[in-house]
Amino acid sequence: MSTIRAGSPAAFWLALPAGLWMVLAVVLPVLLIVWVSLWGGQGVSPNNPITFDNYARFLANESYRWLILDTIGQAAMIMAITGVLGYCIAYFLTVKVTSPGWRIALFLAFVIPFWTSTLIRAIAFVPFLGVNGLLNQLLISLGLIERPIQAFLYSRLGISMAQVSLYTLLASGPVVYMLSSIPLALREAAMTLKAPPIIVFWRIILPLTLPGIVIGQVLVFLNVLADFITVTTVGGNKLAFLGNLILLFYEGSQIRSTAVVSVLLMILMLVGVTVALRVVDIRKLGS
Amino acid sequence: MHWKTRSRLTGWVLGTVTIGFLLFQWAPMFTMFTLSFAGETGGTTFPMNGVSLHWYRNLWEADLFDDFKPPMLRSFLLALACSATTVVLSVCAAQAMRGRFRGNGLYFYLLLLGLMAPGILVGFGFAILTRLLGIEGSWNTTAYVVHVSWALPFGFLTMLAVFNRFDPKLEEAALTLGATRVIAFRRITWPIILPGVIGTALFGFSLSYDEYARTLFTAGSDGTLPLAVMAQLDRQLTPELYAIGSVTTAMSLIVIALCSIGFWLRARALRGRPA
Repeated sequence: MSTIRAGSPAAFWLALPAGLWMVLAVVLPVLLIVWVSLWGGQGVSPNNPITFDNYARFLANESYRWLILDTIGQAAMIMAITGVLGYCIAYFLTVKVTSPGWRIALFLAFVIPFWTSTLIRAIAFVPFLGVNGLLNQLLISLGLIERPIQAFLYSRLGISMAQVSLYTLLASGPVVYMLSSIPLALREAAMTLKAPPIIVFWRIILPLTLPGIVIGQVLVFLNVLADFITVTTVGGNKLAFLGNLILLFYEGSQIRSTAVVSVLLMILMLVGVTVALRVVDIRKLGS
Repeated sequence: MHWKTRSRLTGWVLGTVTIGFLLFQWAPMFTMFTLSFAGETGGTTFPMNGVSLHWYRNLWEADLFDDFKPPMLRSFLLALACSATTVVLSVCAAQAMRGRFRGNGLYFYLLLLGLMAPGILVGFGFAILTRLLGIEGSWNTTAYVVHVSWALPFGFLTMLAVFNRFDPKLEEAALTLGATRVIAFRRITWPIILPGVIGTALFGFSLSYDEYARTLFTAGSDGTLPLAVMAQLDRQLTPELYAIGSVTTAMSLIVIALCSIGFWLRARALRGRPA
């Protein structure tokens, strides 16, 4: 017995507003994008004939095809870096730090920036990476370089640094969750049976944290694919990925091309999520 | 968790990586914060040419062209509205999930979809929807609808987690003693889930306040703060932007700090109460 009866009409009516809201604001718009991407004709009207011409025209352009690959490549690179970095940080915070006070302090230092604006954090990279920026000053004063490195800002290197900084928490968070739910006894059992630490990690810890790794990777993948803010602010309009192309077409009022790129982006994301779901069963995570 | 490990070396290596990343993560924000206090002749990078509050004063006395105050007010009101709506909808939705209505599995995925769908697609799709319906986009109508759809999944998951840890025996006791379901919810359930509700409200506020992509496509002519910041960045990067960035970041940090202190005080008060 609880304040709500199982299967009661009340439950249905309580669920309805949020459900309708999501259908109206997320599902319907996404379906509309798919529909618009198939529009022939010229105007913005529901009477346009359905055709695949928009896709054919887009994919016939070699530089656009290259852009798709480039976007995937960038996502893969950021996934690899944030994956390794995120796992190291998660392992250190949950396993290696033994003092509770230190753990909370480090954890807060890790998480707090996530609660501030992504846009502002991306903009903050401009004075950090610039020719007279903090990073160059630091490297010069350490004697590592003689002249400031120009390539930090408005380059792929700069964008990647910003993206790693923004998205490592996404890769790390789920791993922290999985790591802290591993029972102590498992590890002790393995140690008692004289397994060396590397084997304990490889045979016990890693498989048990695999769902966390995969979910983190999915989050990073989705975010890098859709990221256009970091690319415009830190990349200074010199580089573009699929997200920027969407914006570019939209600002040029090319609504069909915008829709085509959006659908391609959606397909990439769906493929990524499907692959991930084959590796782990997300529904089992809650238990 | 206390794992006794033999390897100190791994600890040192991982520790260095962690501390290095934390420094790397905070350094840009620190740079921006420092440069926002640059002198009047200071630019957007070092040297600062003195220390002053010039750029903050500029922010306050801005002219029509780069006045951040109206967008800031709009962002604030929109975030408040989004926060309130998210709280109501997520509490209802999570409470409904406890009632195991038909199709609750599908419903769960429907709400999760909002978490997965990127802002750029949702915003663009919603812009098409309003255009086909002939509705003019505005920050307090179309942008509001889209913002709530972004914060709702976070609030919903938070409330689900809260209800999962909730002990139904407490409600049972109230109902056995003759309370109606509504009274039991108000007097027993609500006070217990209140910390989760505050967390949901925070999610609703900060996700809306910081949202850029979804607003860009749906806000119409009067933009919110992130749009104004991006527009100014397109025109020219000035230390004023660092000032506004520092102000909003400081605001976020203060809100987080206040809420954490609130939770801590509440937890202490609950512990101190005689059983």
